[in-house]
Amino acid sequence: MQAVVLHVQGSALVLPATTGNTVSATEASKPGPIVPEVKELVWGGGAFVVFALLMRFVLFPRVKRGMDARYESIRGAHENADQLRLAARAEVAEYDAQIATIRADAARVVDAARQTVERERQARLAEVNARLNEQRAAALAEAEAARAAAQGEVREAVSDVAGRAGELATGHRPDPQVVERVVDEVMAR
Amino acid sequence: MLGFEFPQINSLLRWKDFFTSFNKIGLIAVLAAVIGSVVFLLAGRKDPQVAPTGVRNLAETSIEFIENGIVMETMGKDGLGWTPFLLSIFIFVYLCNVPGIIPILYMPATARIAIPMFLSLLVWVIYNGVGIKHQGVGGYLKSTLFPPGVPKALYILVTPIEFISNIIVRPFSLTVRLFANMLAGHILLVTFALLSQAMFQATTHKIALVPMGILPFFMLLFITAFEVLVAFLQAYIFTILTAVYIGGAAHPEH
Repeated sequence: MQAVVLHVQGSALVLPATTGNTVSATEASKPGPIVPEVKELVWGGGAFVVFALLMRFVLFPRVKRGMDARYESIRGAHENADQLRLAARAEVAEYDAQIATIRADAARVVDAARQTVERERQARLAEVNARLNEQRAAALAEAEAARAAAQGEVREAVSDVAGRAGELATGHRPDPQVVERVVDEVMAR
Repeated sequence: MLGFEFPQINSLLRWKDFFTSFNKIGLIAVLAAVIGSVVFLLAGRKDPQVAPTGVRNLAETSIEFIENGIVMETMGKDGLGWTPFLLSIFIFVYLCNVPGIIPILYMPATARIAIPMFLSLLVWVIYNGVGIKHQGVGGYLKSTLFPPGVPKALYILVTPIEFISNIIVRPFSLTVRLFANMLAGHILLVTFALLSQAMFQATTHKIALVPMGILPFFMLLFITAFEVLVAFLQAYIFTILTAVYIGGAAHPEH
């Protein structure tokens, strides 16, 4: 390679030439830079042809087969997952249906139980009311009887007292029937 | 007055032989084929059922890139059979481009015309062959030279244009696009590297010139980063155009 020359204000300043594996200036003059060199054509073309054939028959099919197998397995796993998801959804729907049935059954049983309890409550209530009425009637009758008895005793005592008082006042015993009638009239007021 | 004498272009591009007829360009081409093969060999050895990592991930990503980003976009499902060939082109061109920024190598093999020309001629043979195979000689020439929907009178003008465009210019443009881009990048890198060196090492009384060497050095860094993108982009463009040409020859109605 040629030296790099830097001219500053008329004085040329020569830098060290960049040396390398490039051809000398004499060699470099021919052929032109856009003329293809046979050796480069042969090595470049040969390398590409070998690479393309290897790629076509060995390298690409191996990698591609692996890719296809993995994609297939992923696709299979996806389909499997979809099926599982569908099955799970069906199971959930079935479970929901069963829950609904059980809830309806439970509601029916609860309703029936509630109605039974209500019926029993009403029957018990009626029974108790009847017993209470009976007891109330008996008590009333008893009370009435006691009152009548007491009234009879009071009338008898009052009649006796009134008869004695009449006897003491008049000297003879008044007619008991009259005394009893007078006492009855007074007590009835 | 400030002058900078640039070395002859050939001294930047032509390399001495390591041994008979084998120079740096041949070495890079062979390395590209070997590295590409080794990556896919190692990838093929790994268990495909586990999530891909390392070289396997690299190989699978490149296959999917070619399949989804190039073949499906340009040729459709029918073109998937061309994936290995397009993958070979992409990897080979990329690995020939990228040494332009790799220290010690510092030379894209595609900055020499031989490899782009070989690949373009191969693509030319293939897409013409595919066209003839799918449509027959007459059908292919008819669909290529007499595009449907054009008024017959215009064929006098259109047919020579189509012939030059499809049969002659395509391989030429494919070659020159790759070669010229990589050559331009290489020359830019050399220019800014030499300029940086010249300014850093200048034996001059103008001391201020020395720190100014940082400017071309920054430009050198920028161009280097840019060349990373260019290496990928040129490989992609070459591959997608190949796919378009083959797809067009196989299915002219598209």
